[in-house]
Amino acid sequence: MKPDRTTSRERIDALLAGRTTDHVPLYPFMLGFCTKNVGYPLATAYSDPQKSFAAQLWTQEQYGFDWGPIYGYASYGTWEFGGQVKMPEGGYEQAPSHVSFPVQTEEDIDRLSLPDVKTAGFLPLAMEFSRLQAEHGTAITLVLGSSFTIAGNMCPVEILYRWMLRKPELVHRLLRLATAHIIDTVKYWADIFGAEQVIPQIWEPLANNDIISPKQFEHFILPYLQESSASILGTGIKHIFYHICGQQNLNLPYWSQVSMGNPGICSVGSEIEIGTAIKHLGDKAIIAGNIAPHILLTGRPQQVYDLCKNAIEAGKKAPRGFMLMSGCETPPDTPPYNIYMMRKAIDDSDCY
Amino acid sequence: MAKERAQNLIKQLHDAVVKMDEEASAQLSKTILAEGIDANRAITEGLTAAMSKVGELYTNQEYWVPELLLCSDALYAALDILKPEVKVEEADIKGQIVLGVVEGDMHDIGKNLVKVMLDAAGWTVHDLGRDVQLERFVEEQQRTNADIVALSALMTTSMLAMPKVIQMMKARDPNVAVMVGGAPLTREIASSYGADGYAKTAVDAVAEAVKLLKPREIK
Repeated sequence: MKPDRTTSRERIDALLAGRTTDHVPLYPFMLGFCTKNVGYPLATAYSDPQKSFAAQLWTQEQYGFDWGPIYGYASYGTWEFGGQVKMPEGGYEQAPSHVSFPVQTEEDIDRLSLPDVKTAGFLPLAMEFSRLQAEHGTAITLVLGSSFTIAGNMCPVEILYRWMLRKPELVHRLLRLATAHIIDTVKYWADIFGAEQVIPQIWEPLANNDIISPKQFEHFILPYLQESSASILGTGIKHIFYHICGQQNLNLPYWSQVSMGNPGICSVGSEIEIGTAIKHLGDKAIIAGNIAPHILLTGRPQQVYDLCKNAIEAGKKAPRGFMLMSGCETPPDTPPYNIYMMRKAIDDSDCY
Repeated sequence: MAKERAQNLIKQLHDAVVKMDEEASAQLSKTILAEGIDANRAITEGLTAAMSKVGELYTNQEYWVPELLLCSDALYAALDILKPEVKVEEADIKGQIVLGVVEGDMHDIGKNLVKVMLDAAGWTVHDLGRDVQLERFVEEQQRTNADIVALSALMTTSMLAMPKVIQMMKARDPNVAVMVGGAPLTREIASSYGADGYAKTAVDAVAEAVKLLKPREIK
């Protein structure tokens, strides 16, 4: 690897402050890959904050990642609202998955209440992880779903999608609870660590345009994103990291109406070109992305390298900056050399 | 007059499915049977045609998954009433397919939509559900003598189970066709796994299955 002129922390601080960085930062979205990399069972990426943090920290050192360890999963919301999840096991699982949902019927919604953010579900583990982040001076990145994704984890998505057309008032009730929960949780983190230290990550995988229409996004998702963003930024938090997961090209005009901080951070999947993300979001957010996980997993090293070089080239035009990142979580079984290709593409790019 | 009445009822059934009207779909199916109209005809001219239209609306981005789900509810409301009345020798069965989400993956919305489209198109679908142990696909194909096995995965991690199923299936019977689909898949990956077919969407799945069936004898 080419020797760095600044530390990873300095590089990220410079990026967030709008200053030039010595090279494009590399963002690791690969919890499971890291635990496997150091010989821990995959489940520890989610079930054991200490091991998860250590595995990510060691792998960061090995590959030269810039952003520090993160902790979360896409099914967030099920456990916290009273359902059950199970940790990944066997050879083909990647992340925690649903076992039972707190909401299956209309009546179940009446029984829902706002979770206690100190004790509910995954949050005590997340707090333990964030204490490690604080101890090591890495960014405190609390990972949550968006209101819509949390609603889709409170009840099976097939029910949620049906209710969107048949009983929209029920969906709005779930969205209202999810939004209040997001705000409660972020405020708790801000109280513990100080608002300026916390960078909430909001993942939105369920708003995929292969599933819902941009009009449905406008009606069911945008208002709640705007509300939660305004409240989060109102605490003094400076940056919100949004993971715009999957095919959301048609939603981008709406995403551009969401406050994200100064600057925000938006990571996009391989389905969204970096140039397109810059066009819609580049003025307000650092753009991160968009290396396809399936190419990282199955592609040849040269293919990964070329993809990364192209992404970096496109990312140069991002006015608020760019980070190289996989478009969604890197599969745990990704060939390690393909991860090295990400870093090599950065080293070989004469970016700044 | 009776012919016109039958055509009109079948058209109404078609429209009820396209308009996501489950109640009307069930009621019309009962009326169709009560008036002695052939159930098989109602299915092929009403329901199959309706889901074909729904697929077209999805492809043209006029309908999205929430709409497809409600159309499927209307479809099954009708099929539950009409199917038991179809005489076996008259049934327009395209072929048999074993369908499931591979081990390690709980995401089944895509697989369920594939089932809807296949059911509507007259296939016999053996749905194994989600998080299906790999050997279950082989066992079910053996039990049913299905023409095709269709595998679904949403995660890149669970996608890795597909080549193993394909290998197991081909080792037992190289003539069984295997098709795959799901968000992380591409035709290139499907081909590298040894799959015979690939469908990007649930709507494409029916055409792909028909293509795979063509060189074979319909059982």
